[in-house]
This record gives sequence, C-alpha cells and structure tokens, in this order.
Amino acid sequence: MSANPSTPLGAGPLRAVVEVVARGLVDHPDAVVVTESERRGSTVLELRTAPGDMGKIIGRQGRTAAALRTLLQVTADKHGKRASLDIRD
Amino acid sequence: MALTAQITAFVQRVVDAMGVSLSAKAEETPDGTRINLEGEDGGVFVRNGGEGLQALQHIVATAFRRQLGDDNRIVIDCNNFRRDKDAELKQMARLLAEKARSSGMPQEMGPLNPYERRIVHLAVAEDPTVTSESIGDAFMKTVIISTKR
Repeated sequence: MSANPSTPLGAGPLRAVVEVVARGLVDHPDAVVVTESERRGSTVLELRTAPGDMGKIIGRQGRTAAALRTLLQVTADKHGKRASLDIRD
Repeated sequence: MALTAQITAFVQRVVDAMGVSLSAKAEETPDGTRINLEGEDGGVFVRNGGEGLQALQHIVATAFRRQLGDDNRIVIDCNNFRRDKDAELKQMARLLAEKARSSGMPQEMGPLNPYERRIVHLAVAEDPTVTSESIGDAFMKTVIISTKR
C-alpha cells in the first residue's frame, strides 16, 4: 500500500479523506495539496488544486463540495474531532 | 469488469483514509453494479438517514462519470442499508399504486431525491394501469401516482 500516492503515509484521517477524495475527482491528482492546521480546538483543512480542477471539486450547485464536507464531518465525528474545509482558489 | 475493480479500489481507499473498519465488496445485480461496505464501522455511513452513504455515492458517481457513461449505474451500499431501504420504497410505491387504482384518487409520495424517484417510477411502471410523475423544480420532488386515463 505504501506505493499508493493517494494514501499519504502518516497523514491523519481528516487530511487523508480530503486528499483521497479530491484526487479521485480531479484531472491532475498530483496538484492536489491539503494542509492541516488547528484553530480553537478544531482542525482546519485547506484544499488547493490545479486551477482548472476547482470546478470538479465544487460540482454543480456545490453538491460535490457538500458531499466532500459531509465525508469530512462523518470522519471527524468518528474520531471525536471537529473539522472544517477551506476550498481555496 | 476492470471498471468495477477500479471503483471498488477507490471506495476502499476512501474508507481506509477515513480510518474506519469496512471492506468494499462488489456484486452485479439486475439493477447494475453494487458495492457493499461490510464491517463493524458501518454506522458512520448509515447514521442520519444514510447521509454519509449518499455523500460517498455522489463522490463515486462524479469521479467515474466519464467511464460509467449514461447507462451504467453504480450503487454504494453499507451493510445492506440501501438495499433494504430501496426494497421498502418499492413496496410503498406498489402499495400506493394499488391504492390509486382501487380508489381512483392520486397518491403522493415524497419528497424524494432523484435516486429514490427512479425506484418509484420503475416500480409504478410495472403496472400498466397506473402512471407516476414528479412534481416540483427542486432537487427533492414529490411523486404523484395516479390511474391512467
């Protein structure tokens, strides 16, 4: 499994789920960058992609972004954490 | 089919990344391909009316839209939650179709999402004397089941 670029070794589940899902959605998975920081007891994930891929992350009427946020929330709940996602363009 | 294996692997990568203990198993059904997540951590997807499952379904459909095309459907399930819910929905649609036919009064079902509406329309279509249509212009719509004239 260590050879798989979309399951980052050592990344926590919050960052990992955003990375794996984002890389599955875009045309340029290598350009997906997710950074993680803590703000008042909550984990903030920042997602950046190649410029042309942003629309794929957001989706029609923001539905794909909403689905990604739901998966992040579900993951955070499972691990007793709080998280939010910043999609940067 | 190579695509099914590819999608199953992606679903497995997502649940592994989430740090939940579930294993993705694919099967072919008359309605298309179904990937069922099996294991003790199923609650994370099934909770809140299966919102996690719906999110994963949307992600998978979007990520593989091009390869799947218009005719191939893929359903993501978790400990058979979806399958059981679909069966209930189908049963309800048939019941209301029967009621519409015997009473002559249109029957309402919903609001339902597009996936649910498709199940209802297909179930109603099994009976040639009744018909169904979706009302509304939002994502969620009500389905009216009535006798054909």
